[in-house]
Amino acid sequence: MATRAEFLDRIRREARRAPALFPASPAPRPARPEEAAAALRRELAERWPEALGRFQQELERVAGVFHRVATLEAVPGLIRDLALAMGARELVTWEPGALGLDLGPALGAEGLTVTAAPAGGGEAARLAHREAAARAQIGVTGVDWALAETGTLILVSGAGRPRSTSLLPDTHVAVFGKGRLLERLEQVGIMLEALHADPARSMTGAMINFITGPSRTADIELTLTRGVHGPKDVHAVFVEAL
Amino acid sequence: MSDQALRTPFAARATAALEDAHLQEALTIATNKFMALRRESFAGFPEGEALRDRARAVKEATLQRLDAYLEQLADSVERLGGHVHWAATGEEAREIILRLCRERGVRTAVKSKSMATEEIELNAALEAAGVTPVETDLGEYIIQLAGEKPSHIIAPAIHKTKGQVADLFSRELGERFPADPEVLTAAARKELRQKFLQADLGITGANFAVAETGTVVLVTNEGNGRMVTSLPRIHVAVMGIEKVIPSMTDLMLFLAILARSATGQKLSVYTTLVRGPRHPGELEGPEEFHLILMDSGRAAQIAGPLREALYCLRCGACLNVCPVYRQIGGHAYGHTYPGPIGILLTAMLKGDRSVKELAHASSLCGACHEVCPVRIDIPRMLVGLRERLYRDRIAPWGERLVFWALGRVLGSPALFRLLVRLGRLAQRPFLRDGRVRSLPFLFGRWTRSRDLPPVAARTFSECWKELGR
Repeated sequence: MATRAEFLDRIRREARRAPALFPASPAPRPARPEEAAAALRRELAERWPEALGRFQQELERVAGVFHRVATLEAVPGLIRDLALAMGARELVTWEPGALGLDLGPALGAEGLTVTAAPAGGGEAARLAHREAAARAQIGVTGVDWALAETGTLILVSGAGRPRSTSLLPDTHVAVFGKGRLLERLEQVGIMLEALHADPARSMTGAMINFITGPSRTADIELTLTRGVHGPKDVHAVFVEAL
Repeated sequence: MSDQALRTPFAARATAALEDAHLQEALTIATNKFMALRRESFAGFPEGEALRDRARAVKEATLQRLDAYLEQLADSVERLGGHVHWAATGEEAREIILRLCRERGVRTAVKSKSMATEEIELNAALEAAGVTPVETDLGEYIIQLAGEKPSHIIAPAIHKTKGQVADLFSRELGERFPADPEVLTAAARKELRQKFLQADLGITGANFAVAETGTVVLVTNEGNGRMVTSLPRIHVAVMGIEKVIPSMTDLMLFLAILARSATGQKLSVYTTLVRGPRHPGELEGPEEFHLILMDSGRAAQIAGPLREALYCLRCGACLNVCPVYRQIGGHAYGHTYPGPIGILLTAMLKGDRSVKELAHASSLCGACHEVCPVRIDIPRMLVGLRERLYRDRIAPWGERLVFWALGRVLGSPALFRLLVRLGRLAQRPFLRDGRVRSLPFLFGRWTRSRDLPPVAARTFSECWKELGR
């Protein structure tokens, strides 16, 4: 096997021999990403209604479903109606603290089983939760950023925010407020630069997922089919009061 | 690619593809659709042209300091608790994975679509070592069940009809399925869901790797990439060294053009950013993360004639527009990477000699250059390749003789004029309906599938001379 030193030496030697094809540099980055992110958040606080309109339009274009409710209190009822309409019996959610909402009491009364992710735990907790997620028909998560340009939900994994909640169930329901809206991909870049500039924040979850509509494939005769491995349906619930 | 396929000459493989009526239909539908989707997507995206220029510049800038970015990437991954492996060859990359399987007692590995692992023929090696590899991208799953190879970089099973897939699933899964993509997709979902939950190892490639943050980026539509990186206890990512990019800011630039070029989507359904193994406090995710950085012929091109091919994002756009690919499909090329960029990548990985026939499987029309998201000048490199095949005496003697003679004639105006006059006489027996349709001897190979315009009664230079008088 090549050692790291040998491997890199080889590349260094080759690079030294090579003329640049043309003068080039990487994309210019924000010098102070956390300040840039804060400034962007202030700007977007003014413009969010336009961003929300675009988000809805793009989400629907990729076969996602958009909902708008006034307050968090209206969310359990909306999810109950969804569950009843699709005949769902079991739900998994992010840990109530991470989600900002405890669905257990309201939906439990309707005869639905709600399993919230534990805040932490070992191997036994991991397997137990995975089984619950694999059984559940609906997974409920929060959202870190909602990207208007493409109708994309961006979720950062972490304690109480398992990756499987938005992946294993047939239906994914994501709840968010106006502070999460971004307009363009390059703004996601600023937010991610800021996230990684902060060692504490960036070491609390190893996976970030950009989710743009339901899982899909066109691998058989280019016929578009939904829900090949991930959710068949994606619902984004916008909460005005959040 | 199977050696058997390569034992037949390229011309025979291409002819077989041309005579396969079903393949012809599938290719036409697929490539036309991909082309239209791409065109619409960029038509509604005026800033796309500038983004392509910037993305190209990032690729070039990264190559200029590739050693530094790889070092930074490796440091970042190790800081996150991941393991970094350096594979000078494809064989070394395979060996690293097999050793890991042995040491960790891996029995089943689930894979998301990865051209890098196709390139090193990992599945055969895993099987030989007693590990069951399961391809989980629907298209890859189909061709794995069928024992075939991908025929398109992003749509591996476009050469199969739904009827063929139904027969295949019925045989392999022990249940009768109708020829309905919806039903077949559901069957694959059910079958593969169990595999995801049981597998010990997840194997992926990487669309990008961000040096500064140690992030491996996977772009998928089905969600299998997420499964493979979330459920098994070990995740191994295999990437060619050219996939590294400097920062998150650069990543956004590439994401903006990649899916648009490949499928016409603004973004693929899932863009998954993986940052090492499960972090402290996290319930899910692999305990172990391994990144294999593979050279396998790439470093030699940093200063070589195929340098620009190292920009390639593997989007497949150049396949869909190529008049040769559109006729013969991916299998006839006979290697992992088909299409115009595939000829260059094959030369990079296996040497010029391996593409002595394929170097001519291009009309040099430039359509590939036009659609490439990072504007790789593929025709320029193909011409260079043909030149090297001549110079290094790899091309067959007949071909070299023709090019040598042509060089002499075109280099001497007097000789050229003489031959034009001779040609005007010599072509007479071969003219039909104003075209040269069949030629004798060696030249017959040209006219077997094409015709030629005849030498004009008065050539342009003769007219010009008269005008001058």
